[in-house]
Amino acid sequence: MREKSGNRVSFRTTALLLCALLGASPAIAQEMTTSVVDIHQGSPLSDQARGLGDGGYELQNGSRVSFNQWYRASWVDMHVDLLTQITEDTGILWGFGTGEEGEKYRIEPSLKLGFLTQMHPSPNSTLSLSLTTTIGGKLTEKPCEASYGDLGTYSVNCRLAASQLAPEETLKYLVNAKPESQHLWLNYRVTF
Amino acid sequence: MSDNRWKFGIATALAILSAPVASAQEAPDADEMAALCHGGGLSICVSATIPAAGTQAVQGWMSPDVGAAWAAGYKGKGVTITIVDDFRSSSRFSGNFGVGVQTQRHGEWTREEAGMIAPLATIRSKDFSTSSAVGLAPGLNVLNLSYGMYAKAGYSPNQIGWSAEEASIISYATKGTAVVSKAAGNDAVAVGGVTGGQQDYLDLALTGKQTAIFVGALSTNGTTTNKAQLAWYSDYAGSNPLVQSHFLVVGVDGSKTGLYGTSFAAPIISGYAAIIGSKFTKATPTQITNDLLNTARTDTLVNYSASVYGKGEASLSRALAPVSIR
Repeated sequence: MREKSGNRVSFRTTALLLCALLGASPAIAQEMTTSVVDIHQGSPLSDQARGLGDGGYELQNGSRVSFNQWYRASWVDMHVDLLTQITEDTGILWGFGTGEEGEKYRIEPSLKLGFLTQMHPSPNSTLSLSLTTTIGGKLTEKPCEASYGDLGTYSVNCRLAASQLAPEETLKYLVNAKPESQHLWLNYRVTF
Repeated sequence: MSDNRWKFGIATALAILSAPVASAQEAPDADEMAALCHGGGLSICVSATIPAAGTQAVQGWMSPDVGAAWAAGYKGKGVTITIVDDFRSSSRFSGNFGVGVQTQRHGEWTREEAGMIAPLATIRSKDFSTSSAVGLAPGLNVLNLSYGMYAKAGYSPNQIGWSAEEASIISYATKGTAVVSKAAGNDAVAVGGVTGGQQDYLDLALTGKQTAIFVGALSTNGTTTNKAQLAWYSDYAGSNPLVQSHFLVVGVDGSKTGLYGTSFAAPIISGYAAIIGSKFTKATPTQITNDLLNTARTDTLVNYSASVYGKGEASLSRALAPVSIR
């Protein structure tokens, strides 16, 4: 994680604090400030990759193959989200994800970019809007090489190698998922 | 049986290989079996019954492997199973493959069973009394033979003047152009053995042929915790290594279907071959045959020995699984 200013008072560790930040006194935002708004490990794609590790099958000799060995990672995708405040009511949201990799899948590193703005329809209300875009972060499942003895060696979907699907057909079911690419957030808050 | 069958120097007689209806616990009288299953001249061993066709549901008599095999949607598509059997006689018997009691001809039963195992396979019927050569369809072919050709014991198979029908089948098994699933027989003797002074010369002719599989019957489907044993009526592999290496067993759970006999073992292997063929679409009949033989299980059988069970109990799930993966 990285910070551009020394204003540690404005650091935040959860996304919920965005509201608090935007609702803070205008005096706080007089200088450009970068705040950490969220740090977390894991994501829907991480969960999906982990889910691929459920199950297994027997090889021809009866030995058990567990998917778990292929879909676990020593490092879980970490996401750091930051907010650089440009003006009293606007800021740039940005961040990154480290990605993660197991033997048979990879979540590539990601970069998040966006903005946050707010207005005050009335003295005691705040309307906030943010839009973020994520670049990268794709989950890609890798194939296995399966030997079927006399029937040949094929590149296959590791999880479906023992199914009734033709070996080459299993490749159609390799997971290739993108993270949520755009996120629009609208919030209206009234204080009374 | 047509007239030209009798033109052979040594006449063989068709015998359908289903066993008499009886509970698995009731060991049959040997004489009764002989009379029913391979008597001299044209004999037909009548026995069990057969199921209704076209229903794609996993039945209790099937191995759990079958349901797992269907889960991915591949059920024998693109493969042709030709049932060489009785489709014309007036002999019918009753049974229930889980779709209601039916009364059908022997061939109608075996055809239905194969179709239930591999519902998307193309099933063709060839009445064995026509004696004409069995034709092959484009793609992978599986021939189901739930019958035997019996004659007085003591001849060599090459002394038999085969009809075009059996000659074509033997040729396919020799050249490896079709998987040939042959019911082992219901005389509780070694495949090709002498019983009542007669032998199944079709067994003898197929021995050592690359795509021939002899199929014996277990009284149930075996598991590692509930091992199965050879059905009381089933022929066994015997001491000939050429038979042992091409002999499989499958569960024929007559207590659930009312159908007994290796006649109902062979269609299961035919169906398995079709399912494997629908997965490995470029595989040759020899490769499919070897896959079935090489993946048979011995740990699901009571006191396994090659002379009884041959290669063991066919395992569809293992036949579909890789040898290794990385």
